Amino acid sequence: MNKIRDAINRIDLRKFRFWIQLFFFVLFVYGAYFSIDLGRELPIFSCGYNRETGGTCYFLALQHQLARPWDRLFSTASIGVLTGFLTFLAWFIIFNKAWCGYACPLGTLQDWITSFRKMLKIPYGTYSQSQYKVLKKIKYIFLFIVIVFPLLLGIGLLDGEWRGAFCKMCPGRLITPLFSGDVSQWTIDFSTNTAIFLTTFGLGFTVLFFVGSFIKKRFFCFFCPMSAMHYIFSDWALFKLRKDGEKCTKCGDCYNVCDMQIKDIADDVTSKNILRDDCIFCMKCVAACPEEDALHVDILNMKVFTSTKGGFAKRMEIDSFKKEESDEK
Amino acid sequence: MVDFIRRDKNDIYSKKILGFLFKNQKFLFIFRVIVAGLFFYAIFLGFYEPSKENTFTTALFWSIFWPLFMVVTLPTFGRIFCGICPHGFLGKYITRIGLKKKMPKWMQNRNIGILLLVIGWWGVYYVFPGIYRTPLGTALLFTVMTLLAFGLYFLYRDMSYCKYICPIGTLTRAYAKLSFTWLGTYQSACSECRTFECATACPYNLKPFTFDKRNSMTDCTLCMECSHACEAISFKIKKPSFSLFSRFQIEKAEVWAYLLILASIPIAMAFHHGIGRSNAAGEMIWSKTAGIFQSLFGPGGDWVGLFAFLYAMLFTILAGTIGMYLASKILKRPFKEVFYSLGYSYAPLFILSSLGHALSSFFTGGYERIVEGFAWAFGFSVNVEPLARRGDDWLMIFSAFKWIGIAWALLLLYKRMKLIKAEKLRKILAFPFAASLIIFFLGVNMYRNHIIDTYGRASGGHGHMHRSGKMFQTVPPKKATILQTGPRRESCAVCGMKLAMFYKTNHAAESDGKVRQYCSLHCLAADKTINKRSLSELKVVDTASLKFINADQAFYVVGSRKKGTMSRVSKYAFAKREDAERFRRQFGGKIVDFDTALKIAERDFEKNSFVAKPEDTLFFTTRNPAAKTRGGMGMRHGGMHRSGRQNAVPSASLWLAGKSPARPKCVRNVEGVFYLLNADGRRGKPRISKKNGCTKVSFAVPKSGYYPLYYVRSNQGLVNIAKYEYKRIDHSGEEVFTKAVVAPKTLKEIPIDLQRLKDHEDSFYSRLHSGEKVRFRVLKDGRPLEKARVTLQTQFGWQKTVRTDKNGIAEFQLINDYDPEWKKFNKRFREKYLVVATYDKGTQRYKISYSGFYLPARERYQSYAYALLIFLGLSVVIGVGVFAYRYRVQKPFREVSFDE
Repeated sequence: MNKIRDAINRIDLRKFRFWIQLFFFVLFVYGAYFSIDLGRELPIFSCGYNRETGGTCYFLALQHQLARPWDRLFSTASIGVLTGFLTFLAWFIIFNKAWCGYACPLGTLQDWITSFRKMLKIPYGTYSQSQYKVLKKIKYIFLFIVIVFPLLLGIGLLDGEWRGAFCKMCPGRLITPLFSGDVSQWTIDFSTNTAIFLTTFGLGFTVLFFVGSFIKKRFFCFFCPMSAMHYIFSDWALFKLRKDGEKCTKCGDCYNVCDMQIKDIADDVTSKNILRDDCIFCMKCVAACPEEDALHVDILNMKVFTSTKGGFAKRMEIDSFKKEESDEK
Repeated sequence: MVDFIRRDKNDIYSKKILGFLFKNQKFLFIFRVIVAGLFFYAIFLGFYEPSKENTFTTALFWSIFWPLFMVVTLPTFGRIFCGICPHGFLGKYITRIGLKKKMPKWMQNRNIGILLLVIGWWGVYYVFPGIYRTPLGTALLFTVMTLLAFGLYFLYRDMSYCKYICPIGTLTRAYAKLSFTWLGTYQSACSECRTFECATACPYNLKPFTFDKRNSMTDCTLCMECSHACEAISFKIKKPSFSLFSRFQIEKAEVWAYLLILASIPIAMAFHHGIGRSNAAGEMIWSKTAGIFQSLFGPGGDWVGLFAFLYAMLFTILAGTIGMYLASKILKRPFKEVFYSLGYSYAPLFILSSLGHALSSFFTGGYERIVEGFAWAFGFSVNVEPLARRGDDWLMIFSAFKWIGIAWALLLLYKRMKLIKAEKLRKILAFPFAASLIIFFLGVNMYRNHIIDTYGRASGGHGHMHRSGKMFQTVPPKKATILQTGPRRESCAVCGMKLAMFYKTNHAAESDGKVRQYCSLHCLAADKTINKRSLSELKVVDTASLKFINADQAFYVVGSRKKGTMSRVSKYAFAKREDAERFRRQFGGKIVDFDTALKIAERDFEKNSFVAKPEDTLFFTTRNPAAKTRGGMGMRHGGMHRSGRQNAVPSASLWLAGKSPARPKCVRNVEGVFYLLNADGRRGKPRISKKNGCTKVSFAVPKSGYYPLYYVRSNQGLVNIAKYEYKRIDHSGEEVFTKAVVAPKTLKEIPIDLQRLKDHEDSFYSRLHSGEKVRFRVLKDGRPLEKARVTLQTQFGWQKTVRTDKNGIAEFQLINDYDPEWKKFNKRFREKYLVVATYDKGTQRYKISYSGFYLPARERYQSYAYALLIFLGLSVVIGVGVFAYRYRVQKPFREVSFDE
């Protein structure tokens, strides 16, 4: 048992993540080729505009369901809305935000763009803390658009052009279908002013997605309303990212590897649950932590992946350094 | 006393405008004088002009003060209503010169005020509705209350009237706990204070410096006297209802106020005004009890109202106490502790549902009443329209308040449950029981909606016809003469509307020895000309005497300003010519005899329907051609209807129509046979119904796919068929699209069939677009037919005729003739087309029509080129921008050096 635990703790997270991400990317972008359909309530940006998708982002369905006329929305006819939401919740609580770090095709794509940048040896950018505080709020504005705009539509305060407004603005709609050779989303809709605005916004956001994620790691995830939605329910999830503040030495290794620049991971030594709204649960912080048991991932209070000295040493290849040193001697 | 204090950010007194409104002594005095002036002026006018002419008195009390100002301010700013109340304002001066006695113990009971409100006002309200609604009743009520208040102020000290006797004193105290304002003090200043100016200044003898510590503002009415006496008083914005999250001294009367007011307003209203106005009203327990009492004691007041009120009271108290009792057993704590501590969670239920109601009624009628009342009272004339109409979609937003209230109550219950000392598991188990009243309130709301949805409102299906009060046509059921017999004798023989409701336009006639009574001449005409019933002994109600007279001798006033029944042109009949003349002079119109009136009534049908000849080309439409308005919500479901129940099989409705596809008209005569094929290839059963000269074909559409519907008329030498392929899409995405869905289907009863070939369709969502090619196949007895003439005609008149090839196929390109100016362009525009195939074999002629629609092609409004341009342009701009920014940042700082 201890051996297995040791092996897990010494895992090469980078390789592990690469293969898992590749698997999910193929599953969600090309799933229909294998006639896989995981439903329409997935907590990731696996876009339904992509015809070959293996399961659809919940926001597409949610926006359409909430846009019903209110008398119908608040009647028993809308039990389907509720069951849809519960399905979403059921998906979500299994993996918590690990959906972002491991399964989301849009997230994976950003990681690949980051690797590409690394190959070109271009340094990455970061936000200052003041920029960071402002930018991280944007995702709640998008979440507002996802939830409140359809409701306004249902009582006739917004016209039908706003149906699925966030999808029109989302880069996922333009990017994901590209992988199945569908460029039909890459248009500007001139039929109404609203349509022009929404499609142009979507295109502009796509440009930002590419340019931004080339420079900043996981650029889009700062603005992702799904991430905001996750955070609301993350307390109920089975996977937990926990921190033992007493063992933390505030070395800052975890902060340095964090794609999302979450400062609390290194600074906060009081809270046990260290998951923040920006977190993508990539577990890089756990892998990078040199202190025994300071950071750990739990399933139902059972530690499955913890930071260990041994794991840290292995990943840092400290042994080989030592070897080299001794060889030199 | 403190003269200066550094105020916190969330202190309202530190704000310029709000601080002025809530603190400035002169402003508050002037404001209170104005309010008191209005108050006494309204009472005076109530006596001076007690007739209906006086709209001011009722508007001031029942449109502004109580429902609007009070309900809006209580859960937001708190008890500011008390702060400006004329009783309290003048009472302060009266108390000063009064006897200053101590109120006797038995009167120091807050339940007096609550009972005054619940029984004296709401009980009376339900038993004698409208007694306080008249200007005189209102004025009397407030005169009595004012005299009582002033008397008690004079006798007793410390404004005891406000605390114990005022009917809304305890109510406002209780509900103000939800507000986001808090009158407190700055402890830094108070800890050194030995003079306590705030307490001396308080007319209520309260101690403001203890409010924070007590976590309760006790009887504070926000009169702001203390804040003038000392600067250390703060008036802060806090989290709504934050004080309820932690402990404070519990006032039992407050919990009872929540409970009894919840019973007497939202719940009794839901019983009496919600369910009571549905068709199921008579089945309810309070109606039945009222029936028993009415038969015993005769009609006194409104028995139904009384029992609705009493049952609401009973059910509410039972729901509250039983649930709390069980919860207390589970928690193993005394009942009283549990009930009075957790009872505070009931607070948001009434006030938020009333807030929603008050706001929506302000927009539908209150605003108009207020402005008109003031205009009348101060002698200027304005003409205002209501800000919204009842039934406007956006008013639905106010119904959300109720749900917020329920959620808030549950949150409060959770927070207060935390304060009770018990095991966690017991708390979880006790929670649903403690929430029993909240669940009961939720249940009553859902039940009312369910009853109204299922049984409908008693006023018939014409909810928008009359905004308030009765229609001109309506008479009480007792006064209506019913000539019909049978179980449905009180409803119109044609449309089923309540006869008494439209009594003044009632008609009656004999058919096959039986009397048929109609709501209007319209329905009589429908029975006569469309249903082809032979009618005799035509009778009509005399609008003046309400008796039936012979229709031939009646004088009809047609087209008056009084609204008609079932028709835009109203028709009222009179026995005497002078009655008709008087009516005409008053409301306009012209006087005609019965035959002319009947002809005018028949015109209602001619506009929308026609009698089809055997050779006319007919087709189906997805919406009723006779319907007046176009679909409202922007998304049309192509005639599909799903009844309210979950899992019910949806059904589709199509209308048989003729003339042009652009302006279809209903077909009045149905002489052929309908055939239906289900999506799975089996035969379906269409139901045919006729109304107002239109023929509706309804059928169940259980699965996604195509449902071909045929209407076959065979005459000598001519078989004329109309075909429509109804497509159902189940948006749940559970059904799988296969090629079988689009496989052509036919029936052996159809001698000539016209099929649209759907080879290119690859999902349920496939649609035709302009510019695309569409192929039709003509079959004769199941075999492809060569050289049949096939004509395609679009809505805008373009048409083309081709002959079928040897495979029976005719191909068209759907042209692009929808070309409005850009602003009116609708990308979801359904351009209708009609395809007609004809084939002659000797003297026998075969004809089949097929109707459908297509949408504008995406290329008409979507541009790849612009997208690419914008993408590249933006990429370059942003890319260069980022590069420039980085370059600048990276450039090392160069020291400026001087060459000496």
